[in-house]
Amino acid sequence: MAAQPQDVQQTETIRFTLDGQQIGAYADETIWEAARRHGVVIPHLCYKPDQAGLRPDGNCRVCMCEVKGERLLQPSCWRKPTEGMEVSTHSERALHSQKMVLELLEADTTDTAYVADSRLDHWARALGVGKPRFSRREEPQPDFSHPAIAVNLAACIQCTLCVRACREVQGNDVIGYALRGGESHIMFDMDDPMGNSTCVGCGECVAACPTGALSNAGVDPTRQWAWQGQESEVKA
Amino acid sequence: MSAPGNVASGDFTRRRKRKRAQPKGRQVEPAALAAVREALGDMPRRRDMLLEGLHRINDRFGCLRVEHLTAFADELRLSLTEVYEVATFYHHFDIIRDPAVEPPALTVRVCDSVSCAMCGSEQLIESLKGKLGANVRIQRVPCVGRCADAPVAICGQKPVPAATVERVAAAANAHDVAPEAITPIGYAEYRKHGGYATWVECVTGKRAREAVLKTMEDSSLRGLGGAGFPTGRKWRLVGKEPGLKVVAINIDEGEPGTFKDRHFLERDPHRFLEGTLIAAWAIGSHEVYLYIRDEYPACRLMLERELAALKADPPATLPEIHLRRGAGAYIAGEESAMIESIEGKRAMPRLRPPYVAQNGLFGLATLEQNMETMHWVRDVLEKGAEWFAAQGRHGRKGLRTFSVSGRVKQPGVYQAPAGITLRELVDEYCGGMQDGHELYGYFPGGASGGILPAAQADIPLDFDTLQPYGCFIGSAAIIVFSKADKARALARNAMRFFSHESCGQCTPCRVGTAKATELMGAEHWDQPLMEDLSRVMVDASICGLGQAAPNTMNCVLKYFPDEVA
Repeated sequence: MAAQPQDVQQTETIRFTLDGQQIGAYADETIWEAARRHGVVIPHLCYKPDQAGLRPDGNCRVCMCEVKGERLLQPSCWRKPTEGMEVSTHSERALHSQKMVLELLEADTTDTAYVADSRLDHWARALGVGKPRFSRREEPQPDFSHPAIAVNLAACIQCTLCVRACREVQGNDVIGYALRGGESHIMFDMDDPMGNSTCVGCGECVAACPTGALSNAGVDPTRQWAWQGQESEVKA
Repeated sequence: MSAPGNVASGDFTRRRKRKRAQPKGRQVEPAALAAVREALGDMPRRRDMLLEGLHRINDRFGCLRVEHLTAFADELRLSLTEVYEVATFYHHFDIIRDPAVEPPALTVRVCDSVSCAMCGSEQLIESLKGKLGANVRIQRVPCVGRCADAPVAICGQKPVPAATVERVAAAANAHDVAPEAITPIGYAEYRKHGGYATWVECVTGKRAREAVLKTMEDSSLRGLGGAGFPTGRKWRLVGKEPGLKVVAINIDEGEPGTFKDRHFLERDPHRFLEGTLIAAWAIGSHEVYLYIRDEYPACRLMLERELAALKADPPATLPEIHLRRGAGAYIAGEESAMIESIEGKRAMPRLRPPYVAQNGLFGLATLEQNMETMHWVRDVLEKGAEWFAAQGRHGRKGLRTFSVSGRVKQPGVYQAPAGITLRELVDEYCGGMQDGHELYGYFPGGASGGILPAAQADIPLDFDTLQPYGCFIGSAAIIVFSKADKARALARNAMRFFSHESCGQCTPCRVGTAKATELMGAEHWDQPLMEDLSRVMVDASICGLGQAAPNTMNCVLKYFPDEVA
């Protein structure tokens, strides 16, 4: 019988330094994955490793880490460690970017909770990000046209997890990203109300959404969870 | 909850039937499909032809109607949303959702970027309102690459230099809307004066690949799109990659203040084509893509003609050459975003690694070069590496092509030694400052390269020389301003441009440029908050747009603090 994936013994072939600790990584692993296996959970929003099929996209920039000798910070969900690399997720510079990204996203989203555990609020609390110093974005209108899924783009951080869930995991390809820059937003089909779109209501996007911008219609937000129980512990 | 048994009721069955009769979502209308097929003609129905298809429909109907987009998605076998997200990304596609609304009979685009804004584009836009008839749309647009003629309006596709209400109205009333006439050196003439001989020497073995690579490396020619990567080294790197390789030429110059690529293209298009063919040969590629911005229709049509002439009577076996048309997006000039655009997608920059040299267009190793860089290849090979390297000043090597605009007597494109100072450039090439204007500061590298004060007018302008000042030369777009201008207003104009042109992918750029534009509108600038914002944009943005966007803001804080204190 062919070997099952879980039977294959992976060996750590790459040694690198994470926050001063020497750790090992598998050949194809990202910094984020290696860190988690060693007990360090780096903040992350547009990356959901525990939902099958959702690849990293590196767009939210909350998982930035500092690689010694490199000019720019690197998204740990995307970047793979190489032998001898020195990575810091807690340096002043890395933390500054992580916090600023959270503050910018807080400024662009509503204070209303659409799930009990918005990942944005979770990480903002964990990193001690307070009230945003920037002006708030004008709140988009909600869309309750779908019988099963409520759309509150006021909570949307445009991480495109729902796009990947719909397009790449389910192959439905109903959710897209319209316009560009500050005008860009999540949409259904041709920017149609979700209830009038070709959505089949599979719920993959609701499961993927980190902030409750897509949630179960008609269910009390305080009784809905985004990523309940998943990598919720923050390692200080 | 409904009572049990309801499930088996007739009510439920009827609902199911109705559902089957009416599938969910937008349906293809036969008339719309026929119209779209007619507009597309023989265009191959492939994903990478998505932008081309949208252009054909937009050109044919003057807009993109949602029913046409629905039919087009069906025709390309793509989902509705993938077509719509691409169509809405590019500003030259006009989407009309309401079937009762007719597209405007004419669109007049008025540039509102830095150089045009200095020359009164805001007043022009205001005074044009209501002067051109109800069916004429006035649209403010970012840099159209004609900064020496500021302020510029584009009537249909016809540029109106030094635009006034009268001149724009005259063009609109006369329906003078076709692209301007340009008279470049044509194919026959180019060949008559030795053109393509160097390329033929390469492909027929008279020149060795190694010798050509060595000359390119020794010449100190660097990428002139702005990043300045050494050209010879790039050729060698891509040439070493295994598998198929492709060449992609970037003619999407959109950096406010830059118009050098258009300058060369309008005059001598075969020179860059020959350079491109030599590059393709040097790396062992048989396929070339040219990507030209949609703001240059006259150049695109001319290039179509000249390519046809070249293909009809080639001096040697040509690689496959494709000409692709942009659709109004500055970010498509970013190297990986251009590749996404050629593939028929939203022009969103890719994360590195992998680099496009390894994994670029259609997943192939890709040599991407700015058009002007290719323009110099023939001269470098014919005159020798020393010829190019010998031209320079103040210890710098090579030639730079400066696009100069703003408060100088003779704005325009000038080839000057690398390392020339701003003062020398203005005095020796541009006829000095305009009468009554005293130098106050300048943008050394378009909207993204920062701003320097008059006190720094004597530093050498070149790659690597401006970093200590928080600036860079980029595409060598020099915008000169005087004491009649405010640095803070010009800097905010630049930031508004970046906010408008951000692709919207990453948080620091999408949200950061919008917040920075707001902060820069305050009378007294909030320096600590701006510094925090600038740091995250520089450190954490995916591409150069977000990373460079804060430069002008930082420069105002550093060099013009009195304006914002």
